[in-house]
Amino acid sequence: MQQEYKSKSYSHVFKIILILIAVLGLGVAVRAMVMPKTFGEFGHYRGSAIEDEMNRPIRNGTNASCLVCHPYIRQMHLEGVHNTVSCEFCHGPMADHVKDGKVIADLPMKQGEEIKKLCLRCHNQIIRARPKESIKMISMPQHLEEKHVRIDHNCNQCHNVHAPLMWVNQAKAIVGAGGDSK
Amino acid sequence: MMDVIQKEMSRDRRAFIKNVLSGTIAGSLLLVIPAGAMDLGNIPEQITGMRDDTEPFITKRKFAFIVDITRCIGCGSCCVADKNEYQVPDGMYRTWVERYVIDDEDNVYVDSPNGGLDGYQEPRKDIPHPVRDTFFVPKLCNMCEHPSCVQVCPVGATYQTDDGFVLIDAKRCVACGYCIQACPYSVRFINPKTKTADKCTWCYHRVRKGLLPVCVNVCPVQARKFGDLNDKESEVYKILHQPHVVSILKPGMGNKPSLHYVGLRREVV
Ligand code: HEC
Ligand code: HEC
Ligand code: HEC
Ligand code: HEC
Repeated sequence: MQQEYKSKSYSHVFKIILILIAVLGLGVAVRAMVMPKTFGEFGHYRGSAIEDEMNRPIRNGTNASCLVCHPYIRQMHLEGVHNTVSCEFCHGPMADHVKDGKVIADLPMKQGEEIKKLCLRCHNQIIRARPKESIKMISMPQHLEEKHVRIDHNCNQCHNVHAPLMWVNQAKAIVGAGGDSK
Repeated sequence: MMDVIQKEMSRDRRAFIKNVLSGTIAGSLLLVIPAGAMDLGNIPEQITGMRDDTEPFITKRKFAFIVDITRCIGCGSCCVADKNEYQVPDGMYRTWVERYVIDDEDNVYVDSPNGGLDGYQEPRKDIPHPVRDTFFVPKLCNMCEHPSCVQVCPVGATYQTDDGFVLIDAKRCVACGYCIQACPYSVRFINPKTKTADKCTWCYHRVRKGLLPVCVNVCPVQARKFGDLNDKESEVYKILHQPHVVSILKPGMGNKPSLHYVGLRREVV
């Protein structure tokens, strides 16, 4: 009696298996179409993404990169106390200035009050968080009052921005006060 | 006084030219000036030997980044350089500098106006008690050995290279923001220009071309250091193997950052 309930035909099972295989095949095909070629080359990511990241354009040079075309300023800068300060911090990135070895635009130069602000960004005593070991600091307007000049003097009237102690030491040498570092 | 200085300046120029003509300067200058104009592709190498390595991963080196809080002057040179290098949209920061002020009562005040991009021109005036301690803390990607951002990315857009860089594939990123939630150090953001997740890469593109990360290159007081821990002569190796107070941020998270801090205070998070 039991046998009457059991169908002898398996065609419906085959149909389901066939549909499953078709869906799987379609899935694999779609995945192959959607997945980038190099995905999984090194891990669970697109292998060529590394190359993409590597080829990101470099926009900032180094201080050495300004030397070829600005040898006088670079040499002065290199020998002075500001040799660790980046040219591009004060002037902007090299990519805005030079492309394929040719000058495409001038880099800006700070003028007037902006220069004072620039200098104080690093040298302002009033910002107490600065470690004394790292940098020499001044207070304004005390720094100018000590020198007995009008307090509207700008920093670059006494300090060469590229080698701040150069003129100071030269002036000292003339007056005979000595001075060795630049 | 001013006249003297002006005269000195022109004298200096003449002296320079005289020195060049007489050979005192010329010799050294010719050595350092390469023939032809310099372009961004051929700037002198800063990490020696890097340009000879062309394999996909530089596994023979183990890069580490050290920030020395005892040297940082908060000038923001790093922030400016970083913004210029990546043309980061306003209001987003791949690296930034925080100012910490701790008063007598052990209250901690932290601020970072515009991420330190404009420098710190003014002292904090809103602190009622005498200040006990104050310092700057530069922040950037910690390049974790166990990066939680990579674990949570559903599309394999953020990944870790075999040489330890955690990078983002902007072509795959769907900006779901999981990684931003997962990062314990809050270094990630959605870049409004590319509409993908973005973060500091330790200037992978510069490093692979033999240049230092741009923030390290511009730091005037060497508060940021980058180097190879497999090189026992490197500054980073020496610092990490000396009895300094060297620490990492949030060690409890277990991410094992490769970014180390010298002189970190316990108040810093
Ligand atoms: C390919 C050669 C070249 C390189 C490299 C170069 N410069 Fe120049 N730069 C020039 C020339 C030429 C001028 C003058 C353009 C003019 O007068 O219109 C100039 C002008 C400038 C000016 C403006 C001066 C003025 O009087 O307006 C600044 C500032 C400057 N350069 C800074 C830099 C810095 C910083 C770097 C390094 C990142 C650099 N330059 C690299 C060729 C170069
Ligand atoms: C501390 C900031 C600072 C740094 C660092 C700096 N400059 Fe300048 N530079 C200035 C300012 C401000 C001026 C314009 C005012 C002046 O000359 O007094 C200027 C002027 C110039 C000029 C045009 C003036 C001239 O005398 O021909 C050039 C070119 C220049 N800089 C190139 C460089 C190069 C190259 C470097 C790196 C070697 C550099 N600067 C580093 C601030 C800086
Ligand atoms: C990016 C930061 C930065 C900026 C901007 C900057 N300086 Fe400096 N300056 C330094 C560092 C670093 C030193 C060398 C460390 C030290 O103070 O001895 C230095 C040294 C000096 C010194 C010599 C201190 C000494 O006696 O040893 C003078 C003077 C000086 N700077 C003046 C200026 C002036 C003027 C300006 C504005 C044109 C300026 N600085 C802008 C970082 C900066
Ligand atoms: C009137 C000329 C003059 C002007 C203007 C001037 N300085 Fe000076 N500055 C000097 C002289 C001279 C010294 C050297 C001091 C000494 O040797 O005693 C000096 C020293 C410094 C030092 C080193 C301080 C130290 O402790 O050794 C810094 C930093 C400095 N100046 C920054 C500035 C800044 C920033 C400005 C602009 C806001 C400025 N100076 C304007 C003449 C001037």
